[in-house]
Amino acid sequence: MTQAPQQPTTTPPSFGVQLARYAGLIALSAVPLALLWSNPYWVNVLAYTYLFAALAASWNIIGGFGGQFSLGHGVFFAIGAYSVARLYLDVGLTPWIAIFPAAALATIIALLISWPTFRLRGPFFAIATMAINEACFALANYSDRITGGPRGILVPFRAGLSNMIFIERWKYALLMFAFMVVVVLITVWLRRARLGHYLLAVRADEDAARAAGIDVLKVKLQGMALSAFLTGIGGGLFAMYVRVLDPPTLFTLPEIGVKFALIALIGGIGTIIGPVVGALLIVPLENYLRGTLGGDIPGGHLIILGAILVAAALFLKRGVVGAVLAATQRSKRSRG
Amino acid sequence: METFLNILVSGILLGGIYSLVSIGLNLIFGVVRIVNFAQGEFVMIAMYATFFCFAKFGIGPYYAVFLVAPLLFVLGIVVQRLVLQPLQNEPMMQIFATFGLLILFENSVLAITRGEGYSLAGAYSNTVIELFGLRASFARVVVFFAASAIALGLMLFLSRTMAGKAIRAVIQDRQSARLMGINVERTYLLTFALGAALAGVAGALLAPIYTLSPYIGGNFILAAFAVVVLGGLGSVPGAYIGGLMVGLMESFAGYYVDPALKQAIWFIIFVVVLIVRPSGLMGQAGAEEVGLREQT
Repeated sequence: MTQAPQQPTTTPPSFGVQLARYAGLIALSAVPLALLWSNPYWVNVLAYTYLFAALAASWNIIGGFGGQFSLGHGVFFAIGAYSVARLYLDVGLTPWIAIFPAAALATIIALLISWPTFRLRGPFFAIATMAINEACFALANYSDRITGGPRGILVPFRAGLSNMIFIERWKYALLMFAFMVVVVLITVWLRRARLGHYLLAVRADEDAARAAGIDVLKVKLQGMALSAFLTGIGGGLFAMYVRVLDPPTLFTLPEIGVKFALIALIGGIGTIIGPVVGALLIVPLENYLRGTLGGDIPGGHLIILGAILVAAALFLKRGVVGAVLAATQRSKRSRG
Repeated sequence: METFLNILVSGILLGGIYSLVSIGLNLIFGVVRIVNFAQGEFVMIAMYATFFCFAKFGIGPYYAVFLVAPLLFVLGIVVQRLVLQPLQNEPMMQIFATFGLLILFENSVLAITRGEGYSLAGAYSNTVIELFGLRASFARVVVFFAASAIALGLMLFLSRTMAGKAIRAVIQDRQSARLMGINVERTYLLTFALGAALAGVAGALLAPIYTLSPYIGGNFILAAFAVVVLGGLGSVPGAYIGGLMVGLMESFAGYYVDPALKQAIWFIIFVVVLIVRPSGLMGQAGAEEVGLREQT
């Protein structure tokens, strides 16, 4: 039995103190937006950054806190995106409302998929969810009538607040930022709630959690439902942002499903602020590399991303946040 | 009737391809307990190496296999030592690391070849064997017989030799194996390198069949995982028979349902097997739960 990583045994500070702390960190993450306000390229990159921070934080609920290493979150993301686009185009529903039925559908599908796959542990769960992602990729290519097949769905550009389509890029950046704040607040709540403690118990030792009277399957399903719901909303926002939805954009593993996990890993899996830190590091870096290397070396930015992934798995297991926490704890101990 | 037989033959030959690719993956998965997402990229690298041998030195794929397999053996040693050995007891980090290797290998080859598609097809796969009115490409028949020979050879190796017995002991219980004086780390290294070398054999023999692309590994890896789950973790005959079954299912479904749905079909096989019999057709019951988590 491997030793679980040492959890800090001190009682967490009160909800107000914690909230204030995270509010400060989130305000800090808005600084780049304030600085780069007038630069449309970087505002665009920041909109992606905040969106992927929120998506990684959503993945982190089941993948980090619950320890269920899903590589299939691209499916829930895609369901959210396709549903919002279809509801907006066919029914004329405003995306502001359409994201909720879309996310609900993503949740239902997530529960149907998870019910059989949650009996698998560790790597088997990861493989099964990856297989689900690839199968849905194939289905999305196949079912012309719903997804538009390989050509995809094009949402026409009709600017307007009620259409969630804006001319100014900073409005998207603000929208994604707001979504990120909501997801982080939910994880702050979750970390203190009963469900959060149950998820941590399941991650640490499933059998012990069961022996302690926790309904393991129910806890995992609840965690997955919350995670998939938020991922579905993220997919809906993404749909109205890029307005071109084809299967490779929504299902490519290194770009979507695995990237959520990668961002969480770089920042710190199972920490509240880790996904935000990870996204702020990875997404701008990737865009920068794509810009500088992309023309000369095809796939150059992905070579570096792959190397970062391997290096992080080897040397930065608890992410940037984990490393910083460990360093501060060490300095505290040495001081007294 | 003739259509049926033709589909049957093409299914078995396709199954040979899947068996060949899956045996190495299953060895690594079953023995070293590492989910190697980069296994498909090992095959891809071997295909490019084979092409290189042919284009530069005029060495045909059926000779190049004797160069490519040792090359991949060495690559396997390097990857295991540098990346996977330090992560032996951290399954989650292994997933990250091997996925990182997948992205790394895929895009390195893309950068080197600049996305140009290479093909050995003209030179080799046009030879067709005809028997009782059934037609089959020579290259595919070679793959099928190679897969059968490798499966048989590996089974003999595992049951007759000392090294093979050590590998089987480690599959069953690595702690007890260690207590019996087996060098578990060396067994891992040997097995991982052997799995990579088998990917090398597969790549060399598949090079005449497919048009080379940096992303071709993705075509194999999901099917190979389906085969491993179907056949049973760490079971060589399981991987062989599982490969044939997946090939047959894909071939028949491709003809009678729709070729675009083959991935959905793998997935259904996958999920049904996982629910009904998670240990696979020939695996040890419970192997999918135990062993992956504990065992230091």
